[in-house]
Amino acid sequence: MNLVKIDKNGFKQGIDRARKEYRLFGPAKGKEGHTIRHLDTDEYPDMTYNDSVLSAKSVLFPQTEKMLYTTFDESEPDHHIMKRAQADYSPQAVVGIKPFDAKALEILHLNFDNGDYRDPYFCDALEATTLVGIAVNSPGSCDFSTSTGTGPFDESALDILLVDTGDQYYAKIITDKGQSFAETCGFEEAADEKAATDEINALKEKAENAVTSEIQYENIAEKSIVELYNAPLWDDIAFSCINCGTCTFVCPTCWCFDIQDESKGNSCTRMRNWDTCMSPLFTLHASGHNPRGEKTSRVRQRFMHKLKYFLDKYDQGIMCVGCGRCVKQCPVNIDIREVCNKLNAYEEKA
Amino acid sequence: MDKYTEKIRSIAGNLLKDGKVDKVIGYKQGSLPMAANPFAARTQEQAEELVFNSTCVMNLANYLTDTTEKIAVVAKGCDSRNIVNHIVENKIKRDQVYIIGVPCSGMVDKRKITSEFETDLTEFAENGDEITVKSLEKEKVIQKKDYLRDCCLTCIKPNPVIWDELAGEFVEEKKMENRFASVEKIENMNPDERYSYFTELTRTCIRCYGCRNACPLCYCPTCFVDESGPQWVGKGQNETDIQTFHFLRAFHCAGRCTDCGACEEACPMGIKVREFTKKLVKDSSELFDWETGLDLSKRPPLDTYSPEDPDDFIK
Amino acid sequence: MGNLLEHIGIERERIHFSWISSAEATKFVDVVKEITDKVRSLGPNEKFKKIYN
Repeated sequence: MNLVKIDKNGFKQGIDRARKEYRLFGPAKGKEGHTIRHLDTDEYPDMTYNDSVLSAKSVLFPQTEKMLYTTFDESEPDHHIMKRAQADYSPQAVVGIKPFDAKALEILHLNFDNGDYRDPYFCDALEATTLVGIAVNSPGSCDFSTSTGTGPFDESALDILLVDTGDQYYAKIITDKGQSFAETCGFEEAADEKAATDEINALKEKAENAVTSEIQYENIAEKSIVELYNAPLWDDIAFSCINCGTCTFVCPTCWCFDIQDESKGNSCTRMRNWDTCMSPLFTLHASGHNPRGEKTSRVRQRFMHKLKYFLDKYDQGIMCVGCGRCVKQCPVNIDIREVCNKLNAYEEKA
Repeated sequence: MDKYTEKIRSIAGNLLKDGKVDKVIGYKQGSLPMAANPFAARTQEQAEELVFNSTCVMNLANYLTDTTEKIAVVAKGCDSRNIVNHIVENKIKRDQVYIIGVPCSGMVDKRKITSEFETDLTEFAENGDEITVKSLEKEKVIQKKDYLRDCCLTCIKPNPVIWDELAGEFVEEKKMENRFASVEKIENMNPDERYSYFTELTRTCIRCYGCRNACPLCYCPTCFVDESGPQWVGKGQNETDIQTFHFLRAFHCAGRCTDCGACEEACPMGIKVREFTKKLVKDSSELFDWETGLDLSKRPPLDTYSPEDPDDFIK
Repeated sequence: MGNLLEHIGIERERIHFSWISSAEATKFVDVVKEITDKVRSLGPNEKFKKIYN
């Protein structure tokens, strides 16, 4: 790993150099607030953003993604045969991703490449992507990332970590991908290792101490699924839920999708769209039966998946990075921190 | 608004103690400063958690649909109008609901307030018309009247329309110059401008259907967008499919919408969904002299036929 | 319906409502002619039209 110093005055120039070889994504402000999206040739990542409504998930896992296509025209030799849709997997970089949002992509990767299956769309996109994170110096009030195994300065899922020290950035180059990106940008002025490390560590400590909210899940692993599933707390948690998809769509770790075919004339495409377990349609069987027909069972599914099933299956913590988006965006403020702590503290009555 | 909270708690506590209702639906302080969330109190003890302030924005009529219990519900003017609409549309029976009416001086707009701050809000305290808001970086005292929601600024019925008990004195109904100014602004555009206006309006929609689900009117067992045989609307992020959803949802609310603003409140992307429905409120008012949810004995205009109905659009 | 379509930018002249009895062949012909003339003068509609990709 090496440490590089970037003068903020030269940052835009570096980004312009990167633009020639990478498709760039980053935080940009719209009327809805910041989102992480593709940057036009005259746009620069807004590195000062506090929060983005949606995470960087959509860069690698778009809300609507074309998977396959075919033609019904029988004069074509390959009619009715589904072929993989063309997509651009040339190098791309997300500049200004939050460290815990990058961690979330790692969680998505667990699911999309789990040994048995490899999702080519997500994995190919991930391979093409360089993640240039920005350390969060001032965490928001709903940030609880330090208690989910990541944090405002977590570099474990990044290729480069940028740390804003006022008039300059320190760049911690973590991987080879990161190295190539830094070279392309011309970010090569070595920093004084000792001084930089001290400064970064001080900012890191300050940021981590500023994370005031936390969750506990250390007891959840030992509890039985059935015990938690049958716990008499779900009706109360679910009461106010309106069953919209906000929590799942803004979540950087929610990966579920629905496959749809659309055709016009002789051409047909198969696409996938983000789906949400909050919708009754998510589990509706062709027979008309719905195993999760009740609101409570859907709300329970979301939390059990994130906090119990995932934990048991992968033994890598919970499926939540503590970004706080669902807490903030939920129209009725159902708070995963409260739910998690309730599950952690739950004892079955004898 | 503290006196409302006190009164609501005592009414709710008594109802639950005497077993007159199975639950009381009201608001409870959430985990964030500006979040008063729908909550059902089932015991006298839980009734003490009920609150009422200027952030009680969700429409509680939404929680009454097709319930079989005996329920008490906290109702502002708009909620009460939606309860009337629910009763007229047979979604609940009048004798099933005990309405705790709350005369309302308007709810504040979360987005208008947060836009004044760089960082997350940490405190929100009301003192009459004055509100003290703190964020991680600063503190500010604001006047409630400057930060009301758009729908509250054009509200015609701040007082409950029907109630069993009131939690406070009636408030004065505002005089408004023109409550449809926002609609007229769009009406005065040319067709191309209007089309680009609405295209831009829904461009950021993520199809979470929060607007639909927060709406007390949207109680169809299967919404047309969820129907799969036949499938009426594509499910992807196609601009036209998204517009179709918003357009048709709005039309289904014609003559039924009370302009309570729950749809906009629920939208994570801050889309002004009311721009669609407000036009229908205006049309209902102009064409049928109709305001939703004021009278238990009248059915919505598109539900009935009268020889006097305007018919110059047909030939 | 017509009002709302007009409101979101579809030209009013594209939207027609008519009540025609099966015995009113001439009225049917007249209405169809009128509609096609009006729509033709507006040109093809590009709004609210799904583009597949």
